[in-house]
Amino acid sequence: MSSTVQEKDPFKEKRKIKAVQKMKEIMTAYYIEAKTPTQQTGKKIAWITSGGPVEPLIVMDVIPVYPENYGAMIGASKMGVDLCEKAEEMGYARDLCSYARADIASATINGGPIGGLPKPDMLICCNNICGTVMKWYEVQARYFNVPLFILDTPICHREYSKEIKAYVEQQILEYIRFLETVCGKPFDYDRMQEVGALSIRGQRLWQDILDTTLHKPAPMTCFDAFFFLALIVTLRGKQEVVDYYEMLLAEMKARIAAGIGMLPNEKYRLLWDNLPIWYKTRWLSEKFAAHDASLVADTYTSGWCSSLQYVDENNFLGSLAESYTRIFLNTGTDEMAKRIIEMADKYQVNGLVLHSNRSCKPYSLGQYDIQRIVQEQRGLPTLMIEADMVDERNFSESQIETRIDAFIEMLK
Amino acid sequence: MISAGVDIGSISAKAAIIQDQNILGTHVILTGYNARNAGEQVFNELLMRLSIGPEGIQRIVATGYGRNSVTFAHKAVTEITCHAAGAHYLQPETKSIIDIGGQDSKAIVIDSQGKVKDFAMNDKCAAGTGRFLEVMARALEVDLDAFGHLSLTADNAAVISSLCTVFAESEVISLISKGEKRANIIAGIHESIAARVIAMGNRIGLQAPVMMTGGVAKNIGVVKALEKKLKTGIMVSENAQVNGAIGAALIAATL
Amino acid sequence: MEPITFFSNIAQDPGKYAADWKKATKGKIVGHFCSYTPEEIITAAGALPFRIFGKSASISRADAHLQAYSCSLVRGGLEDALAGRLDFLDGTVFPHTCDSIQRLSDIWRLNIRDKFHMDIILPVKLNTDSAGDYMTQVLEKFKNELQTALSVEITAEHLRAAVQVHNRIRAGLAKLYELRRSFPNLVSGSMVHTIFKTAMLMDRYQFADALEGFIAGMDTQNSKPVHSKKIVLTGGLCNMPDIYQVIQASGGVVVWDDFCTGARYFEGMIENDGPILNAIAGRYLTRVVCPAKHAGIYSRGDYLLKQVKAQNAAGVIFVFLKFCDPHAFDYPYMKTMLEKEGIPHLLLEIEDQVAAEGQLRTRCEAFIEML
Repeated sequence: MSSTVQEKDPFKEKRKIKAVQKMKEIMTAYYIEAKTPTQQTGKKIAWITSGGPVEPLIVMDVIPVYPENYGAMIGASKMGVDLCEKAEEMGYARDLCSYARADIASATINGGPIGGLPKPDMLICCNNICGTVMKWYEVQARYFNVPLFILDTPICHREYSKEIKAYVEQQILEYIRFLETVCGKPFDYDRMQEVGALSIRGQRLWQDILDTTLHKPAPMTCFDAFFFLALIVTLRGKQEVVDYYEMLLAEMKARIAAGIGMLPNEKYRLLWDNLPIWYKTRWLSEKFAAHDASLVADTYTSGWCSSLQYVDENNFLGSLAESYTRIFLNTGTDEMAKRIIEMADKYQVNGLVLHSNRSCKPYSLGQYDIQRIVQEQRGLPTLMIEADMVDERNFSESQIETRIDAFIEMLK
Repeated sequence: MISAGVDIGSISAKAAIIQDQNILGTHVILTGYNARNAGEQVFNELLMRLSIGPEGIQRIVATGYGRNSVTFAHKAVTEITCHAAGAHYLQPETKSIIDIGGQDSKAIVIDSQGKVKDFAMNDKCAAGTGRFLEVMARALEVDLDAFGHLSLTADNAAVISSLCTVFAESEVISLISKGEKRANIIAGIHESIAARVIAMGNRIGLQAPVMMTGGVAKNIGVVKALEKKLKTGIMVSENAQVNGAIGAALIAATL
Repeated sequence: MEPITFFSNIAQDPGKYAADWKKATKGKIVGHFCSYTPEEIITAAGALPFRIFGKSASISRADAHLQAYSCSLVRGGLEDALAGRLDFLDGTVFPHTCDSIQRLSDIWRLNIRDKFHMDIILPVKLNTDSAGDYMTQVLEKFKNELQTALSVEITAEHLRAAVQVHNRIRAGLAKLYELRRSFPNLVSGSMVHTIFKTAMLMDRYQFADALEGFIAGMDTQNSKPVHSKKIVLTGGLCNMPDIYQVIQASGGVVVWDDFCTGARYFEGMIENDGPILNAIAGRYLTRVVCPAKHAGIYSRGDYLLKQVKAQNAAGVIFVFLKFCDPHAFDYPYMKTMLEKEGIPHLLLEIEDQVAAEGQLRTRCEAFIEML
């Protein structure tokens, strides 16, 4: 993370985000609770995909656990290659998603930075982010022998059709019935409304935090957003998220008021596309910073507030189907390009950096066309970085360094 | 003003010295294990040949993979920017550059001032580099220098479609065991490299006139394959291999 | 002329067949990539369903749109379209399956102009009532969009006639599998491959007749059954006739497969009574799944084991396209299921255009020797 700096340069100290420590505490407490045996907490554990509807789980007092968040942790702690190799020994092809490989391997040996995730009582898989998650959750359903619920959110290439709407809405009812059966208690619809309200507040605050980078210089970069994202992903619908993000937003506003940017000299503003390269966030952040280039926004972290427009505050459950189906990744390539151009305009960037991520085909295939569309419509320079989010073997440092240096030379 | 450019590639290290837009001399050695030593050696050998003392050089720019290990340089600039500057100097009408080096290939589009407009580089594991040609030459037991001319005698180029070096190599081995003519296989390899590089170029809008730079430009087979697919002639300067170093020296002169 | 020559002439140059068909009939041709395409509806519209395989040729245009980690089917298909080798198509339909096809549909729509483009957003899970209802609605939607795109009316009678001919084809193809199993000297694996390829691109009414004629002409009375080592193939699609030759030359015979271009194409008749679209939906819901679909966590493994036992097969060869994620995820558990039953297996990872030579041949031969 760019915000963890070793030497005590007073200017660097000033630019450090103070809320980092509190965030670490919240995540630690979350994982401690999740790893406490169910007999003590009385709470069941659900593994859920990052784009899945978590709010009904919170209503049912189920602890949501995110293998994808764990994948990111594995990547950031550079434990990805070992676990991916372990999965390959189990017979999983090297070309498969590295989150999936790392998680599948980790489950069998309690691997990764916190010694494995707690065993699930159920699996909730929403395929709005990819088809890969379904295959991955099938693997885990066989391994743990627990119930699997698949929320099938058809891709909206060009439209959210009435057929799709009816199908997903019907499945939301099936989801509630599934939870009632697994948890052995009725669903509390009043509580759903409260949890929904907290989820909406959390998402809005997250959007506000991301929007603080509209200011020049930006008080944070996408590398900070990659870190602060964990809360809106894992604890969406909880009061802690709202409280924490209010604090973070206040700090960002204070930074703006004091003229503190994340970079000492923000010369270029860039937009990042695709997942982070978790094992290289620090390196990339420093690399861009050394060129006075600030990555002020990204399509990834904004994904957790991208469908706010489809949420009905007065009928949260009723709008769950639409808001979880119409997310950024579950749309056509041209829709994604349109959104990227909107973001480029909004955050006033000088260029676009695309991570072509071997692990994530729905995010990456189509990027060449997006690159072309952005150039045609806005004339913005673009940089393609071929890598992988967790599997470091797919990263060529000297080549990426040359590309970044050349890209900045081109911007000059 | 006398300036120098030092280009440390994965296979060879190049140096160029220019004075007021005129090339005084260029030099190439193998990079070997130590990029830093290679930089000093190629630079010093060229100085000696031109009978110039190190104090006679006012500005030095380093480029290539080893650019940051050239400690005596005033600045490090990527080979992409340097190739653009070099190509523009050698042929001012150049609009696009195809550079195939030892460990990667690049397509670069430049403006009328020799400034980079856009570029693309090969994926890490994609076949289509000098190294790939070396591997193939070994599999075919042909001297790499003979590769180019041999492929021109092909009557029907073999089809090699895999992007992955390992798969491409097994395709080549299959062709050998089928008894396909060497020349046809080599022509197929060249066409497959040309296809990769042009795909990269198409992504960024490659336009004629095209200049080819880098060590692989010496391979006439690859050049012809590129010309055939692009349906346009390609300029190959006698300085193709040292083009990056020349560009670096030109940029050094502006510091 | 050998009876098979009729089919191989068409299979060798699908583009020529399609262009000739179009000229002769003034009909429309609809391209697609997938055995989930409801071909019956296209046939009912009076159009020709044309399966795109991706020609074995050097790829450069497609690589400007697709990264190196796309499978050869996706790359090859797009290359054909961009190179103008599919100009005879009036449009293309994309049933939703895997992530790569999902994005190929977008890229295709953005770059292949002047033709209609349709997505058939099928359900991913197939084992629930709501998915069943949705499947029927999606087929209805597709029928309506096709009517508009082709300016035709598709009546229930058209659909019934189309279902009937496709059922005839399915029955014939199933019969072909039986013949190959018992008389590989009469009906070789390569022949079956050729006929299947033809089945997916030829005028379906004419094909049904030709297939029935071919089968009727088989002289099984005077032919002795051959006893070879029985192999079941499993994987995605296989557009590589060489592999059948290699297996046969090594003393093996393919007795079953669950390829998209094999048994998955003909398994499951459509009941031709009751509401016709529901009947069509019923087949696609219950047929053995492509791994991009979900019908339970063991459905494909159970199916494979059932077929291996039913066919009394000696071994299984997994044939995977490199970069095909859904199949690669299923491989470890399916392999474990086979191992528990003591059934030998082999994994071949191929790129569609790579010939079955060298290493592949050696591995195949060694595997069959081992059985």
